[in-house]
Amino acid sequence: MPDPLQVSLKTAVSGMEAQSVRLRVITENIANAESTGSSPGLDPYQRKTVSFASELDRLTGAQIVKIQNIGVDDSPFKLELDPGNPAADSKGYVKRPNVDMLVEMADMREANRSYEANLQVARQAGELMNMTVNLLKDA
Amino acid sequence: MSQPYLFALASQKANWLHERQALVAENVANVNTPGYKATDMKPFSVLLDKAGEGLLTTNPAHFSLASVAQTPERPEPTDASETTLSGNSVSLEGEMVKLGDINRSQSLNTNIQRVFHQMVMSVLK
Repeated sequence: MPDPLQVSLKTAVSGMEAQSVRLRVITENIANAESTGSSPGLDPYQRKTVSFASELDRLTGAQIVKIQNIGVDDSPFKLELDPGNPAADSKGYVKRPNVDMLVEMADMREANRSYEANLQVARQAGELMNMTVNLLKDA
Repeated sequence: MSQPYLFALASQKANWLHERQALVAENVANVNTPGYKATDMKPFSVLLDKAGEGLLTTNPAHFSLASVAQTPERPEPTDASETTLSGNSVSLEGEMVKLGDINRSQSLNTNIQRVFHQMVMSVLK
């Protein structure tokens, strides 16, 4: 049976990796919040979503977390009247990306919080190992 | 029990604490996984109570249950009072409290082991 503390470290790392990917996707969304199409009538940037799934790690028997898929948000684009834009259609309307800054910011904070929690678990796993090793000190 | 029982007990407690730490790690890693149910260990006292009972060895050929007591209890789902809309029942705050609990217990455990070891050594010196 593998050492539970090693398993705990590995699980925490899988959590941090998943949250990092999530943060990357959020960053993409924020960076492209104003990316319209390049020619008339073309679709703008479509918001990306990320979903997690827990997976049995066969080596350790722990439920680690994996990215299930990175999909796209199918909610409709907002139309804005902007005849000067290169992406404006014949009536002067431009399709804007379906990215809501507020939602992205809230999502970012949540990813941050979850990442920190995983970091705390990893830190503590190291501490517990140290406590055991320190039994050898002045014994 | 003629043997010093404390070391075996402390080792079992350490095992239990480490398993619990691994479970907390799983819960925290899956804090945003839809449909994930949080799990926790059965209390150590349950494990301890079970260690005493069982079959009596009236014949030397009987199997000892000592090895059975070594393995920690299987995890069980915690109460689902914090379940979110996506079916996830992990409470991050609760997990952090557990983390502090584990840290304190492990600290106590190792310190007791050290003191007990010193007691044994003081006889030899």
